Amino acid sequence: MKRLIALGSAILLLAILAAWWTNSRQPKPIVLIPTLTGKPEYCLTCHSNLREISPSHPIKTFGCVICHGGVALALDANLAHSTLRGGANPSDLSVVQESCGGSNCHSGSAADNNNHIQRVMTSVQSTYAGAITNILYTFGVQSDLTARFGIHAVTDNQITTSTGVPSLEAFDPAKATNPFIQKFWTNCLTCHLSAPALPGSQFDRLTGCAACHTPNVDSFPQGQIHKLTTDIPYTQCNTCHNRGNYDLQSMTFLQRTDQPQPKNRLQNYYQPIAQFTKCEYTLDCIDCHTRTEAMGDGDIHSNEANIQYIQCKTCHGTPTQLPLTKILTDPNDIAFRQAQLNPAVDLKLGDTVIVTDKGEPIWNTRGLPDGNYQLVGKATGQVFTFRPVMGSGCTQNGIDQSSAYCHTCHAVQR
Amino acid sequence: MGLINPLHIVIPAMRFNVNMSNLSRRDFFKLITTTLLTISGALGIDALFRFLNYQTEPPAKTEFDVGLTESYPIGSRSLIPDVPAFLIHNENGFSALSLICTHLGCTIGQKDNGFACPCHGSRYDVDGNVLRGPAQKPLRSLRVEITSDQHVILHTD
Repeated sequence: MKRLIALGSAILLLAILAAWWTNSRQPKPIVLIPTLTGKPEYCLTCHSNLREISPSHPIKTFGCVICHGGVALALDANLAHSTLRGGANPSDLSVVQESCGGSNCHSGSAADNNNHIQRVMTSVQSTYAGAITNILYTFGVQSDLTARFGIHAVTDNQITTSTGVPSLEAFDPAKATNPFIQKFWTNCLTCHLSAPALPGSQFDRLTGCAACHTPNVDSFPQGQIHKLTTDIPYTQCNTCHNRGNYDLQSMTFLQRTDQPQPKNRLQNYYQPIAQFTKCEYTLDCIDCHTRTEAMGDGDIHSNEANIQYIQCKTCHGTPTQLPLTKILTDPNDIAFRQAQLNPAVDLKLGDTVIVTDKGEPIWNTRGLPDGNYQLVGKATGQVFTFRPVMGSGCTQNGIDQSSAYCHTCHAVQR
Repeated sequence: MGLINPLHIVIPAMRFNVNMSNLSRRDFFKLITTTLLTISGALGIDALFRFLNYQTEPPAKTEFDVGLTESYPIGSRSLIPDVPAFLIHNENGFSALSLICTHLGCTIGQKDNGFACPCHGSRYDVDGNVLRGPAQKPLRSLRVEITSDQHVILHTD
C-alpha cells in the first residue's frame, strides 16, 4: 500500500512538472480585441508579421477569427489551427458562407449588390455548367443545351433573367456510362472555382474568392499569401483562361505550348490563334468586363454566353449611337463603392461614366468635354483616351457588334 | 563515513532524524511519499495562487483625459486619435463625435470637410450625419465631462 502511495505521489509530481514545463514553453500571448467582435484573440502571438489583408478588412476591426475560424485563445499551433475554415483559405467555396457571409458582409444583405456569395455560387465560374452541359449534349446524354448539372448542386428561387434555370444537380460521374464523359470528369474539370490549381507557376491560384481576389500567389513568400484586392491583373485571369486547350478527341487538357511572355501582352494574351484589337490586349480583363459578368447576376445560367455581354459598342458606341452614359448624382451609386475599393479613379458626384446595357457603371471611364472618353486601367493606372465610333469613318452595321466584326478591320497583326 | 552520517531532512509536514543504514523500508516509502507530496503540494499551491490571481484581459478603456480645456479654444475642432474622437468646442460648449464607423467599426478619418471610412467608403458630414453608405446610422456622440481642475474627459461607454 505504501509503495502504491509513493508511486501515486511520483506520478502526481511528474504530471505537475509536465504541466509546468508545457506552460513555461508557451509564448507570452499578444492580445488583439477586434472592435467588431470585442472578443480577445491570441493569433498575433505567432502571426504579427502578416500583412493586413486589405484596407476593407483592417485587423483592428475584424481580427482573424471572424474570417478564418480557429481557436482564438490557443497558444499551441495545432490546437489554434484545428478549427480553421478551409485550411489556409477561408474563401474556399465549401466554407465561404461561414467565413465571408453575413448580412453585414458578403451575403444575405437586403442590398443585392452585396450578395456576392449567392451570385458566385450560381455563376458559371463556380458551377462550370457550360462545359458540363456541352459535353453531355455532345455525347447524347441530354437533348438540349439547357444546363441540368453543375460541379455542385445549386438552386435559385428568384430567377430574374430569361436564361436563368431553377436548379442544377451535382454531376455524378459514377452514373456516366460513356467513357468519354468519365474521362471528361477526370481530366477536364480543372478550372472552376473549387478546383485546385494545375501544377506550374503560370497556373498558381487559390480556390473560391481568392482564385481571383488574391492575385500573383506565386510572388508571395512562403506562407505569406494574405491579400484580397479588386485590383486584378489579366495574368490572374490567365491562370484559368489562358492555360491551353481541351482536346475533345482524347478528353484531355493540353497546356499551351508557347511560353507565357509577361512583358509582351499581345503574345501573352489568351489563345494564340485569337485576334485582338489594341484595347483587348492593352487593357486588363477587369477594365471592361463587369463584376456581374465575372461573379454572376444571381441566376444560374447554362453557359458563359448568357452572362458575358460586354461588347466593343459598350464603350465605343456604334456609327449611329454614342455609348450609354450617366451622370453620377446619387452618392450611394454602386460606382462609388467600386471606386472606393479600387482607388484607381477619384470619382466625384457629377462625373459622367459609361454604363452597360444593363445599367452597370463602368466606373473607371469618364466622358470628356471634347466628346471623347477616358478609361483608367484598374490594375495599371494607365490612362487611355478613346473616341466614339459615331462621327468616325466606320460603316459597321450597328447591330453586328460581336468582336469578330470589329476584328475585321481593327485586329492587330500578331 | 559520510554515507552513514545522520541525515536531517526538514520538511513542513514532518521532521525526520534518520540514519540511512537504519532506515526501515516503511520509513523509506514514507520519506519518499512525503517528499513527493510536499513538492506537488507546493507546486499545486503555486498554480492555485496563479489561477486565483489570473488577470483576464482588462476591459477596454472608456474614459479618456484629453488635456486641459485651454488646449481647445472656442471654435476649435480637434482630432483625438487615441480615442478616436473629434472634439468640438463652440459657443454652446464641448461636444465630441466617435470616429468609429457605424457600419462595421473601422476608424474613420477626416475628408472633404467631413469624415470618410477607409474600409468601405461610408461618408459623414461634419456633424456626423451619413452622406453615403454602407453606414446607415450617424456617428455616435460621446459624453464630454469637464473636471473641477479643467480637464476634458471623453466617455466612450
